[in-house]
Amino acid sequence: MNKLLQELQQAAAERETRRHFLHTCSTGLGAMAFGSLLQSCNFLTNNDRQPNTVGSAIQSDEPTAPHPSAYLPKAQRVIYIHMAGSPSQLELFDYKPELAKYNGKDCPQELLTGKKFAFIRGVPKMLGPQGKFAQHGHSGAWVSDYLPHLQGVVDDITFLKAMHTDQFNHAPAQLLMHTGSARLGRPSMGSWVTYGLGTENDNLPGYIVLASGGKQPDAGKSVWGSGFLPTVYQGVQCRTDGDPVLFASDPSGMNRDIRKQTIDAISEINQQQYDDVKDPEILTRIAQYELAFRMQMSVPDAMAIKNEPQYILDSYGVDPNKGSFARNCLLARRLVERGVRFVQLFDWGWDTHGTSADGSIDVGLKEKCHQSDQAVAALLKDLKQRGLLDDTLVVWGGEFGRTPMQENRDGQVLPFMGRDHHLEAFTVWMAGGGVKKGFSFGETDDIGYYGVKDKVHIHDLQATILHLLGFDHTKLTYQFQGRPFRLTDVAGKIVKPILA
Amino acid sequence: MKTQWLFIGVAGVGVALLLSSFLGIFEKRVDYNTQVKPLLNKNCITCHGGVKKAAGFSLLFKQEALAPAKSGKLAIVPGDADASEMIRRLTLTDPNERMPLDHPALKPDEIDLLRRWIDQGAKWGDHWAYQPVERPDVPTTGSFWNRLTAFIPGHDKDRWATNEIDHFILDKLEQEGLTPSPEADRAILIRRVSLDLTGLPPTEKEAADFISDTSPDAYEKVIDRLLKSPAYGERWSGMWLDLARYADTKGYERDPGRKIWRYRDWLIKAFNDDKPFNKFTVEQLAGDLLPAPTDDQFVATGFHRNTMNNDEGGTQDEEFRVAAVIDRVNTTWDVWQGTTFACIQCHSHPYDPFTHDEYYKFMAFFNNARDEDVTSDTPTLRFYKPDDSLKVVSLQQFIKTTVAKPKQAQQTLNQVTKLVRTVEPKINSHDFDQLVNASLLDAKYFGFQDKGSTRIKNVTLTGRPRLLIAWGTKATDATVTIRQDKLDGPVLARVPVPNTGSQGNDTIQMIPLPDVRGKHNLYLSLNSPTSPKDWVQIKWVSFQPVLPGQPMDALGKKDQLLLDILNADAAQTPIMLDGTGDLARETHVFERGNWMVKGKKVSPDVPKSFPAMSPDLPRNRLGMARWLVNRSNPLSARVAVNRFWEQLFGTGIVETIEDMGTQGIPPTHRELLDYLAVEFMETDRWSMKKLLKKIVMSATYRQQSSASPELLAKDPYNRLLARGPRVRLSAEVVHDQALAVSKLLSQKMYGPSVMPSQPDGIWQSPYDGEKWKQSTGEDRHRRALYTYWKRTAPYPSMVTFDSPSREFCQLRRLRTNTPLQALVTLNDPVYVEAAQHLADYMSNHGKSPEGQIQAGFQQIMLRNLPSKKLAVLVRLYRTTEQYYRKKPGEAEALLDRPGFDCTKVSPQLAALTVTANTLLNLDEVLTKE
Repeated sequence: MNKLLQELQQAAAERETRRHFLHTCSTGLGAMAFGSLLQSCNFLTNNDRQPNTVGSAIQSDEPTAPHPSAYLPKAQRVIYIHMAGSPSQLELFDYKPELAKYNGKDCPQELLTGKKFAFIRGVPKMLGPQGKFAQHGHSGAWVSDYLPHLQGVVDDITFLKAMHTDQFNHAPAQLLMHTGSARLGRPSMGSWVTYGLGTENDNLPGYIVLASGGKQPDAGKSVWGSGFLPTVYQGVQCRTDGDPVLFASDPSGMNRDIRKQTIDAISEINQQQYDDVKDPEILTRIAQYELAFRMQMSVPDAMAIKNEPQYILDSYGVDPNKGSFARNCLLARRLVERGVRFVQLFDWGWDTHGTSADGSIDVGLKEKCHQSDQAVAALLKDLKQRGLLDDTLVVWGGEFGRTPMQENRDGQVLPFMGRDHHLEAFTVWMAGGGVKKGFSFGETDDIGYYGVKDKVHIHDLQATILHLLGFDHTKLTYQFQGRPFRLTDVAGKIVKPILA
Repeated sequence: MKTQWLFIGVAGVGVALLLSSFLGIFEKRVDYNTQVKPLLNKNCITCHGGVKKAAGFSLLFKQEALAPAKSGKLAIVPGDADASEMIRRLTLTDPNERMPLDHPALKPDEIDLLRRWIDQGAKWGDHWAYQPVERPDVPTTGSFWNRLTAFIPGHDKDRWATNEIDHFILDKLEQEGLTPSPEADRAILIRRVSLDLTGLPPTEKEAADFISDTSPDAYEKVIDRLLKSPAYGERWSGMWLDLARYADTKGYERDPGRKIWRYRDWLIKAFNDDKPFNKFTVEQLAGDLLPAPTDDQFVATGFHRNTMNNDEGGTQDEEFRVAAVIDRVNTTWDVWQGTTFACIQCHSHPYDPFTHDEYYKFMAFFNNARDEDVTSDTPTLRFYKPDDSLKVVSLQQFIKTTVAKPKQAQQTLNQVTKLVRTVEPKINSHDFDQLVNASLLDAKYFGFQDKGSTRIKNVTLTGRPRLLIAWGTKATDATVTIRQDKLDGPVLARVPVPNTGSQGNDTIQMIPLPDVRGKHNLYLSLNSPTSPKDWVQIKWVSFQPVLPGQPMDALGKKDQLLLDILNADAAQTPIMLDGTGDLARETHVFERGNWMVKGKKVSPDVPKSFPAMSPDLPRNRLGMARWLVNRSNPLSARVAVNRFWEQLFGTGIVETIEDMGTQGIPPTHRELLDYLAVEFMETDRWSMKKLLKKIVMSATYRQQSSASPELLAKDPYNRLLARGPRVRLSAEVVHDQALAVSKLLSQKMYGPSVMPSQPDGIWQSPYDGEKWKQSTGEDRHRRALYTYWKRTAPYPSMVTFDSPSREFCQLRRLRTNTPLQALVTLNDPVYVEAAQHLADYMSNHGKSPEGQIQAGFQQIMLRNLPSKKLAVLVRLYRTTEQYYRKKPGEAEALLDRPGFDCTKVSPQLAALTVTANTLLNLDEVLTKE
């Protein structure tokens, strides 16, 4: 078996080499058979995961084997918590006492001229903050009473208060956040990261997605798709009902032992096939079947939350028998603990226009905060007590912000308090993995409409996340349909002041 | 080109042969395309190319490169390298001056190459793929030089070749010192060619017939049979649907359903009828603009109506209309020209000779389309129920018999037919402006409340005294007043608004208008005292001529007939249709690709670096489509031929089938590609079946696919084709094969997409609550291409096997090999059911376990399982049989399925099911060998 593995590695190396070679060099086939010519090709320009460690990254690894970073990274893995629909920064973090003074007054015309909103029409009224704000921790971070648990961990957090985006509709804004482009078809951040870094656990996918809130994010599976990167890098959604990974359960009437025997038979016959036809792809297939068999065990094991002690379940507020956001937070910890590189959480239901109680900032937002606050705080504490927070980056945010004006959809007064989509200002926070502790970066104006200091664009956030993982975001590229693509498109600046 | 290869043959000894592409260094003439351009692309063009023109200097176009830079200096002086600033800057030592700035200096031999190129006159060359396609000489095999460079003992090369393809392949093989492989066994060959041409494995009988057929044309007969099979059209449609980004939903956030399967059915028929590729192209891109288009030609234009629509609340229709138009431009270039045109949406092309403006000139061909991202997905072609169709015929008959002058009768007939079949031309209500007490409801359709008003801008009223309005409201006693030119202008009509029950439920009303000439603004105001808060929604309005013989000031009988037809419930399929007159659009350049920042106006044209459009072609989509498939277009045939080659061999002659530009991978057999392209266009008159037949008839295609270690070391990825193709089956074929060999596959063709077994919870539509409702009867076992395709949640096993989501055109599926694929074929209920049925077959086709396992393998692979492999499976069978003997409940659980006869439960059948499941997961089964 050892020999087989060596051969497999050799084959994988050849395949990798080829892929990079064919993509980077235009010297033609003649050169291909001539191994030493590889030296003359510039591997540094394209499809390059790690410019500074090219030799090891490209010539000896399987696609998902771990790759060393370009330089010492602060973060080894990411838990990205996306509150789909976008929470209101004005109720949670961005304290605006001035806005309260304007509550109920007509919005000044200069904030409306030349602007487009998803639903606001005509002249809306201003809407004061609904949460009660106070400063917390040594850092004195402003957090409202909507998030009492988070108040206790603010000294581990960096708040980015002047985030801004280009898109005011959910699906494109979510795509921009996760793929760097508002249009479909680009690889997601998690795909880029696993493409660049591989995974540390052979028995689990390197990029796992967990969704809660009853619905998928608006942009669908594309927000964890691999775009034009090979599909091995796409996010694998672990489901809360049924098989955690699709088709991980053996057919009924077939136990593990029989499944093992079938896999052994398949591998043995495939090995004979390889001996006959020498196609290296057969060796890969043998390895993938064996990995599939292991995953059938390891994924349910990682997802088996009932094995957690009661005090841990209590700290997250998890009912182990029910799918929930809190359960996903605990799963996220279990997954990063097992070496999963990128865990993406989506929680649906943060879109608070005021058209219904659930979709309002006075009722629905409070409830969403209540359902998630304890678990998020518990996750940070849990990671910290296990020593994982130092090299695990946790990111929390929506896809855009919410307006300081009360929404007046179709010119109507809505039954509940709500805010429309807003692209000029919102808050995202990060913790662990190389960002400052107890820090706030960026400021908005008196009513929270525009960022006025230290603004951070989506592409800047992405550049910073990649930086923390040890990448130069301009160099983590993939050649596709004629040009090198990257997560940050043609933009992105690292937000240096927040780095620890 | 042939001479160049011969030259290499002369120079070629040992290592030098392998260095073929570097050989140019030792040639006298420097070649721009193969030597200079790659160097410039790599080192210079990022700063001095289509995107940035640092110091006013660009190397992209000859005229730019030879013009003085900002400094006034000449970077390149043809014939005089010493006077060329470029050479001076490349050779400086001061790091602030030396080029490339902040990058390592060029190597001396590279600089020397550029020096010699300039000294030789700095001749520019077009990239090979932009040069006209010319018929190359077919290499003669066994020539003097070939014999010298490649001595092949015991192999009769001249007899190996069956057609010209083989001469090109052999020529290259001989240069590399390789010999082709012998023909594959017949069982393997018929499976390969059947999977390739029809996407289905041959039946045992078909295989047996071929194996025992001793006639010299046995193989050709198989090919002819396969090309005539209806399954042929299904298989190749599967490929084309990726390019057409076909789906059964609209995409984006809400991703609601769209009924466009008639386009898919058109495609299947077009392939089966062997519609020549040029017609196939023109009908899909511009069928609606052909003279008197047939229904089929309209349906074909569904190709470009597969763009996504955004029905998310609050989205601007114009933004996503533009996104769809841009997608059409990009897809057209991707599919027909293998060129990455999308780059120049924002800036001039970084590497290839296209300018920013040229993008928008080309976009102008598409920008007149009437689809505007409205929820109803119009324009559509309507298919009436029989009763309503009779009404259409009677209306047409009435026109023919009433209008005396034939020309005028035809004109009226065309206009009325267009109206009833497509409900065009019309103005979508999102274009209304000056809204008072009114809104674009959910940012989609216009609605107003009591005392509300709006304006419809610039409407030509001459000869159009019939106003059609599509209303929806639950308001009662509402009245709309229509005035001319001003909000308080002269009243043209005052009409009660029909209560349609709800906003979403719309009714078309016809309103007679007085005879008004010229272009006017119209003002609509609403009086709705009974239900002032109820919205009155308008989806669209249309101004139409009056039917012959109808009164001017009231509706006549034929008006009513027309209205009945328009209000009839009809099946619809989205089509392309252009706007004219008031509805024609101007196209502007978007500054840096931003649709909100419009630059100068442009008119439709093709890029200058391509052959110009012939003056007798119309400057519209039809002219553009004809230009694409004109003999002089350098790319269409090359790209098409390369795509078919890739489908058969697993890799294109140009590996990057999506990019034939200067950044693409150079072809392995350029002359062969050109030869096939010329044959395709000229000899075979764009017949796709003839092209495919030519390729699969070649000895190259028929080779066995196993490789010796030496061959594998020399050509690991089979680019030289000294052996046959060996690649994993596509998602569709993995699925269809499993159903076919277990006798489950339905032969049913066409119709709405079906929903076979899929795990719960895949669909989680945020808004519309649409559900996956499992199909019944044979629809559970249709070919994969009929599976309902939801863009945001595509059928899981298809995606696992590398199908794209179909949100955008994807030109090439990258084959992956992942554990998730193993889980599909091991555990997906679809494949478990196939194993159950295959086990039934096995138990009926053998007396001993050995015989039954052989029968199962035979059924799939059409050959005997060698004894060593058989032994492995027999061992598996025996241990599992023992297990199920002890656990009859487990056996029942494994075998159970709807309609299964429980008395048939036996440990033997259970063990056979496990064996069948194993068979369906063997590498050779999942692979085209």
